Amino acid sequence: MSSNASVLVDARRVAEAILFREARLLDHGNWSEWVAMYREDAVYWVPAWLDEYKTTQDPTTQVSLLYHASRRGLEERIARIESRKSITALPLPRTVHQISNLEARETGPCEISCQSVFAVHVYDPRVSKEHARYGSYQHTLTLDGGEWKIARKIITLANDNVATVLDFYSI
Amino acid sequence: MNNTQQGQATRLMAISKLIDDRPDEAIFQIDRRLFSDPDVFEAELRYIFEATWNFIGLESQISKPNDFVTTNIGRHPILLMRGTDGKIGAFLNTCRHRGTIVCPFKQGRQKFHVCRYHGWAYDSNGRNVSITEEASGQYPRSFSNENHDLIPVARLGSYRGFIFASLSPDVPPIDDFLGDARTFLDLIVDQSDTGEVEFVPGASTYTFDGNWKLQFENGLDYYHFSTTHSSYVDILKKRNVSAGPEAGFTSEPEDEQEGQGSFSFDYGHAVNWSIKRTQLYGRPLGVDPARLEAVRQRVGNARAKWMLRQRNLTIFPNLQVIDILSAQVRTWRPVAPDKTEMVSHCLAPVGESTAARTLRIRNYEDFFNASGLASSDDNVMYEFCQTGYEATTAGPTQGYLRGAAGVSRGNSVHTRELGINPREWSFGAPSFGGEANFYPGYREWRRLMERAAQEAKV
Repeated sequence: MSSNASVLVDARRVAEAILFREARLLDHGNWSEWVAMYREDAVYWVPAWLDEYKTTQDPTTQVSLLYHASRRGLEERIARIESRKSITALPLPRTVHQISNLEARETGPCEISCQSVFAVHVYDPRVSKEHARYGSYQHTLTLDGGEWKIARKIITLANDNVATVLDFYSI
Repeated sequence: MNNTQQGQATRLMAISKLIDDRPDEAIFQIDRRLFSDPDVFEAELRYIFEATWNFIGLESQISKPNDFVTTNIGRHPILLMRGTDGKIGAFLNTCRHRGTIVCPFKQGRQKFHVCRYHGWAYDSNGRNVSITEEASGQYPRSFSNENHDLIPVARLGSYRGFIFASLSPDVPPIDDFLGDARTFLDLIVDQSDTGEVEFVPGASTYTFDGNWKLQFENGLDYYHFSTTHSSYVDILKKRNVSAGPEAGFTSEPEDEQEGQGSFSFDYGHAVNWSIKRTQLYGRPLGVDPARLEAVRQRVGNARAKWMLRQRNLTIFPNLQVIDILSAQVRTWRPVAPDKTEMVSHCLAPVGESTAARTLRIRNYEDFFNASGLASSDDNVMYEFCQTGYEATTAGPTQGYLRGAAGVSRGNSVHTRELGINPREWSFGAPSFGGEANFYPGYREWRRLMERAAQEAKV
């Protein structure tokens, strides 16, 4: 039954729904619904660049821009913003996530791996300045109690010379 | 002296007077233009950054022959490399022929650097080894008599793996320049059994739209921590409830008096430190008690104790080394009066355990850089200050007098156990957060500016 079920999965359609929903929740500041899309043991990783061509490969021996080995790290970041104590979020920038070039395939029973590219337009009303952050996403999605969840997300940020603040909502 | 010289000397002297430093009257004021005036900025690049020692890298970044990294001193692009013979050299990264950047890469290993424009080539000792088609060039005789090598920096010096360079020869020897601030580099380097430090791979570069001195001040400012970083402190307190030994928490000796202090040194350097019974974060050195004990045996009780204390070291004008929950080396490059580019590295003693290294990396990512939970708040604060400094009619800020009534000279219990003789020191309650430790940097700033004014007259 399970092998039949996996054949019937439309990987691209599932991936598209998840990625677009994630983008919308981030742009709308709906953090609780956003973070609920992640498994509790989800890995959220933004590697750093070693030189012009290579990113870091091992978060235990190399420094990442962001690395969270579980959802708790993201929840802490959300709590920090919602506490209204972090000046980085007073006010929060407005963002628009655009995702394209999606490729998705089933990589195991109840597992979809997909890659896409993103551009996040960030407008900071605090200083009336705007930036674009762009790069690529690699998502690993797993079927968890009948629901597709994000098990792993790797964000390769192409323009890593960052202006002022880099947080989960702006990449 | 002609009119232009006179004008330049007068102008630089007027700039130097933007810092009003009268210790006997307890006056220390800085004109807001120091943070926004393009003329001040131009003078800082030329007469401060390009006229004194700057930190340019670690020896371990170029550990093998022909290794190189590129960086900047002020506006000057710099190529730091280890020659085929193992000798370290730092050169202006500009081709002798037409000024092109000779090496456009961040780092790597190359025996030769060939200018992409007309093919002039240099070896890793900076020597010119080829001038393309020189024979057919119809050059005048004077050309072959000229030196065509890359231009070395005027002074190059190194202390325990930290490399410094100066574009001006008019600087004290590097050991004199660093003075007793060296002890605070020792406290990091000596955490390694082999006395070596390295950058953990994965540097971070970011900018903020504010003057570089906002970062200089912030690195010596403990006063802001509980306010600016209150959201981060909340997270830490929550985490610490369930923290186990893997978090590396350590404790102060029972009889130790809690407090927060600073030491000020010559040539602009200062260090902030705190003695706290309840720590907000653990330390990589605290993860492995056996290793900590070995370090204690090697360096003695006093130094081991200081290794576990938060220390924020500023080596004027471009380096801060922070040793707290992790260790950070950060340098700044002034881009404009209101724009600064930061380069930040995670610093580590060579040879620490895997657990200590991973904790060091996680703690570093947690705290520092534009993506960290503390530094990102600082970056926004700098931009708020920069905007606020536009209110020039408001007069000088009141941000330089905290601790001015308690500045001390001579020895203290703390200087004695470290065996150092700082120019000045302060010590107060854990919530002290003095600002008098900004003085050495600003006094050095003024000394260099006055020196430039004197030299402009000649």
